[in-house]
Amino acid sequence: MKNPILQVTGLTKRFGGLTAVADLDFEVYEGEILGLIGPNGAGKSTVFNLIAGALAATAGEVRFAGEPILGLPPHAIAARRIMRTFQHNRPFGGMPVIDNVLVGAHTRFASGLWAVLAGKARAEEERQRHRAAELIDFVGLGGEARAEVDTLSFGQGRLLEIARALAGEPRLMLFDEPAAGLTPAETARIADIIRGIAARGIAVLLIEHDMRFLLPLAHRVVVLNFGAKIAEGAPERIRSDPAVTSAYLGNAAAA
Amino acid sequence: MIALVRWVGTAIALSAVAFFLGDYYNDVYRKLLLWVALALSYNFLFGISGQVAFSHFAFYGIGAYSVVILLFQAQLPLPVAIILGVVVCVVVALGVAIPSTRLEGFYLALVTLALAQLFIVVLNEGGTVTGGTGGLVDYRLPTILGVRIAGPWYTAVIVVLVLVTLAVLWRLDRSWFGRACRAVRDNPEAASAMGVDVARTKVIAFTLTSALAGLAGMVYAFVDNTVSPPIFGLENAFLLLFMVIVGGAGRHAGAIVGAVLLYLLPFVLSPLIGHHHALVFGVLMVAAILLQPRGIIGIYDRLRGS
Repeated sequence: MKNPILQVTGLTKRFGGLTAVADLDFEVYEGEILGLIGPNGAGKSTVFNLIAGALAATAGEVRFAGEPILGLPPHAIAARRIMRTFQHNRPFGGMPVIDNVLVGAHTRFASGLWAVLAGKARAEEERQRHRAAELIDFVGLGGEARAEVDTLSFGQGRLLEIARALAGEPRLMLFDEPAAGLTPAETARIADIIRGIAARGIAVLLIEHDMRFLLPLAHRVVVLNFGAKIAEGAPERIRSDPAVTSAYLGNAAAA
Repeated sequence: MIALVRWVGTAIALSAVAFFLGDYYNDVYRKLLLWVALALSYNFLFGISGQVAFSHFAFYGIGAYSVVILLFQAQLPLPVAIILGVVVCVVVALGVAIPSTRLEGFYLALVTLALAQLFIVVLNEGGTVTGGTGGLVDYRLPTILGVRIAGPWYTAVIVVLVLVTLAVLWRLDRSWFGRACRAVRDNPEAASAMGVDVARTKVIAFTLTSALAGLAGMVYAFVDNTVSPPIFGLENAFLLLFMVIVGGAGRHAGAIVGAVLLYLLPFVLSPLIGHHHALVFGVLMVAAILLQPRGIIGIYDRLRGS
């Protein structure tokens, strides 16, 4: 068995008296799509933000490629090649699509400020620009590279989120509900892209509450309820797990 | 290579203008060029990096006073005085930027406003070092290898300053650094998730642009051969803000257009309405913000697009 690229042990987050994540363990392997699911309020987003460095954990450990990463700021996490998308698209409004993607490549630039000032960073800039254009093609925004981001549809904005994150040459991609708010056709497209990303050997951690989207896509699933893991395994097993069914139905009945 | 030819050609063309102007118009032209240099660097700070700072004109003053004090009171040679003057600007900029970026945007405005005011107080109370309210007068540019640059040749020095400022900002803007600055301005949280160190990016942008303002101030010190507190007051800090907003924040061309327009406007308006031109500035500013937030360059873009 390969070594896991991401290893989460005993991860705990308390907000005052509320335990949002309780003693959570899981790992993600290279080229694997791990789905993290659970009803609303199960703590999925909290787990996501803890790994991405947007929130500080109360206890536990997160190791990436063997190194502890808990407590690092988000930009240092990105520098370790863990890239994320946002559930609500967060493009950089004052820039065209290709420049948005190039921001994603920020940590991949080797030339320093002095090289930039001396005019010695042009070859690298051209190279990165070329790569960004390829990523824009990969997600299917080929015609929009020069477009201003405010002319994109919501679905195109989600594709931009993915291209921008890929520009950071991730070893682990974190997706925060990538299908939320999309049409069925767009959702199918996103699923194909995510499969393509994993096929390149990139580890994928996918946060989702829509089981119909996640189960056909994920290689393995971890189910959260009230911050704790209630099931883990192959999608087929999760589908028929009574604890999962009751968590989802219980949630639906309460809603 | 072609780019270099273009830069040198522009430098020669802009300098040549000075040789056809009389003393009065040469003075107007020099100050116009200095405003363009300041507007360019302020545009990078305010328009591109999104930092609302009011200290830019104060750094112009810090540069001007530093070079004069280092030359004529510390008796240092010109190159040393210039380098130390830049160091002074960098140190003051870091001292302001590092603590303020830890706070939210509004506090940077307050801290830089306080710095601008404090600078004037220090100038007034500086005794023989700053010359107090009268400032420092009666000095002249030292000779370089026995030659004293004067007249239209000094205007050429200012042209070089403007073009160096533009070249530096141009290169920064079209690099990972320029994109990081814009990303931090547009969405700091997303920028951080993409690997941009938000605080560091802001501090570098603030320090670099403040140093460029200081450099412009050093050149200014030998335009009037006088530095005094009223020249570096807050009024001009706001004029700089007007120039960038009216011209089109975030665009080099916008900064240039805004600086040229607002600097020359009083010369046209004064014979007509006297000192009420400030009123026209106010109206222009409100009109720009309400009708065309992208400024004159935004109007130009729209006309070209349609």
